[in-house]
This record gives sequence, structure tokens and C-alpha cells, in this order.
Amino acid sequence: MVALIAVASMVPGLLAGLQSSGIDYDAVAYRTGVILVEDPGWPVDPPWETYDENHKDEIERIGLAVSRDAPNILLSTKIEKFFNTSFFDPEDYRSKAIFGDIPYSYNITLRSLDAEGTYNYATGDDTPPGYGYIRRVVKIKEPSVAVIDGSFKDQYTTDTEDTSTSRNFTVRFDFNRLITQSIDPAYRIDPRAEPVNITITDFGEFLNGTASYATLESVTFRRGSSSIPFPYDESDTDYYTLRIDNNPVLYSPEPGVGVSSSISLVLKPPATSLFNLGPTSILDVEFKFEDEPPATNITGIHYYDYNPTNVTRPDLKPAVLEVAIW
Amino acid sequence: MVNDSGQLYTMEGIAAGLVMLLTAYLILSTTSIYTQGDTHIPDMQLEQLGSDVLAMMDTPDREGGKNQLVEFINENNGGGFKDKFLEYCNAKTSGDLDTLHMSASVTYRKEDRIEEHQLVGPDETWTGRESAVRVTRWVQLDQHQQLSPRQPYGQRAQAVLVEVLLWRA
Repeated sequence: MVALIAVASMVPGLLAGLQSSGIDYDAVAYRTGVILVEDPGWPVDPPWETYDENHKDEIERIGLAVSRDAPNILLSTKIEKFFNTSFFDPEDYRSKAIFGDIPYSYNITLRSLDAEGTYNYATGDDTPPGYGYIRRVVKIKEPSVAVIDGSFKDQYTTDTEDTSTSRNFTVRFDFNRLITQSIDPAYRIDPRAEPVNITITDFGEFLNGTASYATLESVTFRRGSSSIPFPYDESDTDYYTLRIDNNPVLYSPEPGVGVSSSISLVLKPPATSLFNLGPTSILDVEFKFEDEPPATNITGIHYYDYNPTNVTRPDLKPAVLEVAIW
Repeated sequence: MVNDSGQLYTMEGIAAGLVMLLTAYLILSTTSIYTQGDTHIPDMQLEQLGSDVLAMMDTPDREGGKNQLVEFINENNGGGFKDKFLEYCNAKTSGDLDTLHMSASVTYRKEDRIEEHQLVGPDETWTGRESAVRVTRWVQLDQHQQLSPRQPYGQRAQAVLVEVLLWRA
């Protein structure tokens, strides 16, 4: 009789143990949701999304938040890297986002709620019945763009007295102005964490008289007065892309080609992290044009800052993130 | 005449008692697996979602841009608040929309009283027996600049407490 009671009293414990496994999945899904939405991941500086295949093992945690001070605000470049399934394999997702000793299956999806549906990503397997679940509402931050169009013509045109054959136009990143605590991380421009985009459109407006193009001799990067060596060629698209006249061809920092309508330079965080920039540094991107006689009189310094005339910052896009674990 | 039938009755009685006790013990210990401790899981999911939605409504899309949450409260626009809240709340990445419902109230101070203003009333699915969760967020209202009075909060700058009841139906 005593043995019977002992066995019988163990039965409910056994049942309760079986029952709790479903609850456990919800907790894991919740934890994964928190890591993705409220954590920028690790390492932070340089951020994990700038790591390439060779350094993938150094990534410890893949969080998508802009900063730990801005929960629910996700960075578009982190999202694109996270859902890049040719970079991360299922084991990476388990060891860097889901954690735990059990090899959980997962399904993580993200969709933006704007009319165009700009973001629509998924990774993982189809969900079976009885999975653990969490849904988070977030906003997505996208990189800023400095569009220098014809309206800047008068501001950035030198007088024709200048007899030299070269013309320099500079875009300046003053980190003192950019990385300031007074700007919420959700709206901050940080070239060390996000790509920056310099686009000169309507270049025809900057051309002299009958010239049909001006030769872009080089693009150089300067910290203070010293130029920074930049040994990358056009195939290093993880570092930068330089396009001319909306041409799909990519150019090196010394293109030496004629520009008639536009220049687009995207400088990515892996490059800026090599420049050794601190919170008070000044980074200059110098476009040098060389023609005999000069084909353009473009000159001056364009500040990449929070002035909305100088730099456009896209609106945050609302989105929903779902995590299923089983 | 003394025999041992009384002893037999006693043993039967004790055995029956033990069986009854055992049965009662088994019934009590095998039922009610679903305890209070487990009900918090779906509640937690709803609470997290609700507080995410309030936080995102409280985050302008651009620096210095319009804050939806503050605007809806300032304009006493319950309809707009409800539509935006449920748009975020019911959105999924694929498949049908979720079926969450909500009501909302704003608690504020008027002179020396604490008053509650129903911003969004419950809809027809509300029976009072739902397992609803409550999410809250403090919202800072600035000094009201326009000439028309801001009902019912008055013109002064103040912090008000937005409370949303959220349930599935």
C-alpha cells in the first residue's frame, strides 16, 4: 500500500514535467525576441554586421537594435545581414541568437508595415503545431543620404578667376557634430555603424559652358590634414561603392573618368572603422576633378550633418517581427 | 459469546478509509496541472506586444516629427488612437490579421482630484469575462498652445497615464 501511494504520488509530477515543455518554448521565443529587438549584438565597435566570412566566429550575439538605449529601433543593415542565409547557417542562429543547450528549431520573420512592403524577410523552417511564440512591433532605421543637386550650384561654384586645372569638392563628416548625445540614437548619423551615401545629382549644372563632362581624377579620404591610405579597388563592395552617371559599373577611388550627370559614393562601416575615427575626428571625402581647361568650377565643403538641407534622413518604418521556437 | 467478527469489521473499516483517502489524494494531486503560474505566458505575450505598440506610437518617425500617441491624446481622437493601435497590434508577418481588441483610458490630475477619461470604449466583443491584460505608458503633454481648450485635460503641461486593456476575441 505504501509503495502504491509512493508510485501514485510520482505520477502527477511526471505529467507536470511533460506539460511544461510547451511553456519552455514560449520562454525561449521571448528571450530570442528580446535579444533581437532590444540588443545591438556583440561586438558593437566595430559592429558585428561588418564582419566578413573569415571573422564570423568572432560574432557572439546577433542583435538588431540600433543601440541598447533605443530598444525596438532596428538598423536596416543589421536586418539585411541577419537574414542573409548564405552568411549565417542554422547553427549560427542557434548559437548567436537563440542560445540554450537544446538544438531548437526556429522560424523568424520580419515584415515592414509601409505600403511598399520594403522589408519582408524570413528564416527557418515551417512551424509545426505547439510552437513557442512572441511578436514584437518595431521601427526600422535606414541610412542617411546627402543629395547635392542643382540647388547647391551657386553655393559650390568658385569664381572663374581660378586658373588652376584641378577642382576639389569636399564632403565633411565632423564627428563632434554627428555623435552627440543630444540626438536620440534612433535618429543619429554614425558613419561607424551605418553606411553614408553622398550623391551628386544634376552634375551638368556644375559644368562650365560647353563642357559635356568633367574628369573625376580621384576620391581621397582625409583625417584632419593628412590623407588616409585606401588600398581597396572597385571589387571591395563591403567597404564602398562608387558609381558614376547611374552606370552599374563600379569604379575605384581613382576612376579618371568623365562625369556628365551624377556621382554616387556609399562609404560603409568596415571602411570607416579602418580610418581610426574617434568621437571628435573630422573625416573629409575629397572629390578631385582635373581638366585642361577646367570643365567644372565645383568647389567648397558640404557638411554631412543634421541640417535637413544637407542630409536627408529617411523616416523610421514600422514593422513587425515574429519569432517561433520549437 | 465472543468471536472475531468485530475485529474483521474494524479492519475492513480501516482499509476502506485508506482506499478513500488514497482516491481523494490521487484526484487532488493529478488535477489542476494548469496553475496560476502558467497563465502568465499568453498574458506576457500580449503585455509585451501592447507595450511595444505604445512605445512605437510614442516614437516619431523623424526627429522632431509628430508623436502619434501625444497627438491622439491632445486631440482626444479615440478613433484614430484605436485604428493605429490595432493596426500595429494585429499585424503579422504573414497570414490573416490577429484578432485583438482594445479599450483605452487616460488618467490625469484635475486640481486636487485624479480623474479618468475613457479615450476608447470597449467594443461589442467585451463581455467582462475576457482574460484581458493591461498595458500602461506615461505620456508627457506639453503646454497647449492653441486657443481651443484641450478637453478634458486643460491647457497646462502635464504627464498623463495611458492605460490600454487588450484582449483576444
